[in-house]
Amino acid sequence: MLRIDLASRVSVYEQIANGLRAELVSGRFSPGEKLPTVRTLAINFGVHHNTVAEAYRQLANEGWLELKRHHGAIVRERDRPAVGPDTMDRFSQPLRELIAKGLADGLSPNSLAREMIEAARRLEGKASP
Amino acid sequence: MIHLPIDTRMTIAITIGGFAILSAVLFWFMPRLTRHDLYFAVTVTPGFRDEPEGKSILRRYRLELIIFSGLAFIAFAAGVGWFGVGFASAGQFIELVASFIAFYLARQRVLPYAAPPTMIREAELHSQNRVIPGGWIAASGPFILLAACTGYLWIHRAQIDAGAGGQPNGLTVHALTVYLLSTAAILTGHTLVLYGLSHWVRPVYAGGPERVRELKFRRTVSAIVLGVEYCVTLRASWTMLVPRRGNLMTGALVPFVFVFLLVAIVMLARLGQGGSRILAKEQVSSTISTLPVGDRTPDCYWKLGIFYFNRDDSAVFVEKRFGLGYSLNFARPTAWIILLLILVAPLIPVFAHLTQFLPKLGV
Repeated sequence: MLRIDLASRVSVYEQIANGLRAELVSGRFSPGEKLPTVRTLAINFGVHHNTVAEAYRQLANEGWLELKRHHGAIVRERDRPAVGPDTMDRFSQPLRELIAKGLADGLSPNSLAREMIEAARRLEGKASP
Repeated sequence: MIHLPIDTRMTIAITIGGFAILSAVLFWFMPRLTRHDLYFAVTVTPGFRDEPEGKSILRRYRLELIIFSGLAFIAFAAGVGWFGVGFASAGQFIELVASFIAFYLARQRVLPYAAPPTMIREAELHSQNRVIPGGWIAASGPFILLAACTGYLWIHRAQIDAGAGGQPNGLTVHALTVYLLSTAAILTGHTLVLYGLSHWVRPVYAGGPERVRELKFRRTVSAIVLGVEYCVTLRASWTMLVPRRGNLMTGALVPFVFVFLLVAIVMLARLGQGGSRILAKEQVSSTISTLPVGDRTPDCYWKLGIFYFNRDDSAVFVEKRFGLGYSLNFARPTAWIILLLILVAPLIPVFAHLTQFLPKLGV
């Protein structure tokens, strides 16, 4: 199930793209499988269809989806990309912010670290059965 | 002008009176048939309706409903007395206006207690919902019946005379063409509704027991729409093929429609809006929000609590906030096409008659 928060500061299309990416990384969709149409997802979320189309375009640019006119979004076979020098840098800033929020909310550094490792393992485990 | 025998007029008058009473009864129970966190079309905290303020608003609403319905009945009886039985058709409208005034006043009293609904939205990515009972084979049945009826008339077209009083059933070729087109347009409108209930409705819950109840409710609404389609087709086939004897059809159809409506309302009322009355037995929720869920539409987009207008919402159908079934999102052009087909299509024969296209249509 995909869940978004319309009251969040994160834009809706980003939330949709992030949620779908998590589903794709975890392997819940196999290559060749169709995602729900832009209209269906827009109706389910109660947002304009352009918002969902934007999220699909972002995932298509990342190589996750193939967008075909009148055929919807199809999941592509995607190889793990090579890790570049700036790959980790892109994640450091948002990760620091997330950890800071967790600490501010009273979570301990150990529990945060444990949760992150478990989440990564869960996704990794489903991605490579 | 269509002249009907007095017994037919009385049947129609009594049935329309029955419709008015049914409407008043429905308005009486409606506040308890909606979702738990919607009260008089306003999002409230789930327990509000059982709090003293909520109960007080309901008591006052029901009292006003009795008063306004009484006034409506007096206006209806006076109208029938002055203008004759022909005024009876206005009875339901008067009752509806009276009930709406009571609802509007109650809504104004609930508004100060409005609670902000959750802004969390959910979507099931792997859902395969079979909403239409019998699938598209059942949905295509009325069109097949109408096509068969048209085919029969085409084969026997030699018997249909160009002037008035041809065969079968005393209708002219023009009258039959207009009547067939009108019926086809009505069926198209209803088929669009069926398709919409399957594809253009936003589920309030994407999973859990609420989702199951909601689907059951949606299937029931679809079954009723499908039933209406079959009724419309059978009536059209009857009118076109069966020779008229007096006004058998006019007299017999109105009570039949009343019984059909009564059964449909009872079926939906048992489920509650969105299946919410079944949920009352099992208080299991799949949502993680502590805020009221309502129907996941913001209050500000509901005009007078009954008309939904939200340009940013792609859904064409949304659950009614005060009523049983679904309402249209009037910001979507598709909604207007559906409304046009359903409301205007039955009037095509009347327009044709008024514009002298069919001088002796009489259907």
